[in-house]
Amino acid sequence: MSYHDPEPEDPQELVGVELPGDEAVTREMAATFADEFAQLGLTRIQILSLYRRAEYTGAHQAWRLLGEDEIARIVDESLAVYGRFVWVVTDGPEEVAGSVAQPLRLVRRGS
Amino acid sequence: MPTVKNWQLGRDMAYPYDARYPERQFAFVFNINRCIACQSCTMACKSTWTFSKGQEHMWWANVETKPYGGYPRWWDVKILEQLETANPGAQVWGGTPGDGRLAPYGTFEGQTIFEAAARALSPDSARVLGYLPTDEEWNSPNIYEDNPVGKRGVRNALDDTGVQLPVHKTWFFYLARICNHCSYPACLAACPRKAIYKRPEDGIVLLDQSECRGYRKCVEACPYKKTMYRGNTRTSEKCIACYPRVEGTDPESNGEPMETRCMEACIGQIRMQGLVTIAEDGTWAEDRYNPLYFLVHVAKVALPLYPQFGTQPNGYYIPPRWVPRPYLRQMFGPGVDLAIENSISPSRELLAVLQLFRRSNRIIFRYEIEEGPKIYEGSLHGRKVELYNDTVIAFGKDGRELFRTTVEEPVHVRSNAHANSI
Repeated sequence: MSYHDPEPEDPQELVGVELPGDEAVTREMAATFADEFAQLGLTRIQILSLYRRAEYTGAHQAWRLLGEDEIARIVDESLAVYGRFVWVVTDGPEEVAGSVAQPLRLVRRGS
Repeated sequence: MPTVKNWQLGRDMAYPYDARYPERQFAFVFNINRCIACQSCTMACKSTWTFSKGQEHMWWANVETKPYGGYPRWWDVKILEQLETANPGAQVWGGTPGDGRLAPYGTFEGQTIFEAAARALSPDSARVLGYLPTDEEWNSPNIYEDNPVGKRGVRNALDDTGVQLPVHKTWFFYLARICNHCSYPACLAACPRKAIYKRPEDGIVLLDQSECRGYRKCVEACPYKKTMYRGNTRTSEKCIACYPRVEGTDPESNGEPMETRCMEACIGQIRMQGLVTIAEDGTWAEDRYNPLYFLVHVAKVALPLYPQFGTQPNGYYIPPRWVPRPYLRQMFGPGVDLAIENSISPSRELLAVLQLFRRSNRIIFRYEIEEGPKIYEGSLHGRKVELYNDTVIAFGKDGRELFRTTVEEPVHVRSNAHANSI
């Protein structure tokens, strides 16, 4: 816990490094998460909660920097393409003679 | 020193032992674009293999925030710096990424950790350029990555909103890592006891505890720092690729090869692991409908982690598309630009193969696509998108169908209680 003053000689001391980045990069990161999780079949509410939760720092940072409305727009843009359909995964038949494959899990649902 | 063929470098390279290749090779693809650092993989591994006394600092699987963090801290920066010192200004790639299996990323013109050791180290018995991380570097995975402790200027208090420190103001991404079960393992090359071996049936790299005397040469040599020393047994340990699962001898597997614990636990569905067929020359034998072969050699969206180290790692990553390219080129080699281009605008087949990730915990050996009609055409992020109602079918080792994925337009059925509701 870094509650003390910086100690430059301490090898454990946090060293701040500034790297190039801007709003466009953050927007691209937010759009990437939206595309990927829309492809996975998450709903609008599920994807938005990913951004709202501070535990998921990457997505949450984008939410903080861009705002709820912009994140919602990005998510809706992805869902307009990948959220249109329900994706169905059907497990293969068991090794029992005469058995028929049944849809066991509905893993993807469009918004 | 013998020479071996390293297809990731597009050339032969020096390695302390003659080339010997497994029949199949344990390999995996991680899609970084999906990783949210939930650490489910980390904990799945921890709770399976490294929960005992003396293993407290051991994380065979970990997820670190790049470029801020690493486990052990600065592992990649340190070895990159050592290589740069050994071969100043010459750690560069030449040629251009091509279509072939032999030099898909061009040719690496710099020195690997084996070649640099031969020139820079003494005595002659020093076979691999490396370093031994300090205890401080091992003891705190994820420290100061993105787990802050308090607001700037406010002491001894946690932020009551749960967001505890100023966040990074620029790009970062999450890098999930396990042992790469390299084709030319540095740990194996460095072990003076020959306690480390690569299994001929699946290429998994194991460390024989009965032979190990804890010299830590493997810890020093592994450029990915995935071999770890255990103080209370005075031996080193490493990821075993959950080999009972891969063999199909885990009771749950019913004889079928299963993916590892870290793969199975991935809720972000970023991971796919399998076994690829190895040709006589050590390259991946053409296996067009193995999903890993497709992602690495056909779609070219998955790239090895720091291929310039020279160990020919078998972990591949779909690079994050928002990160500045120079950083990614250093980390994944010159194939980055093509990989990102192909993953931003996925082909019809790539979209289908991406649906295979984490739909089953069985290893997929082959897939088939039954083509369906076009169901959507539009644009996303200014690029044309076409979706098809294709069915992608995954098959296991014995050719049995594991599962199939397809799409349907959603149908909403009102319950009886609201059948006439508007």
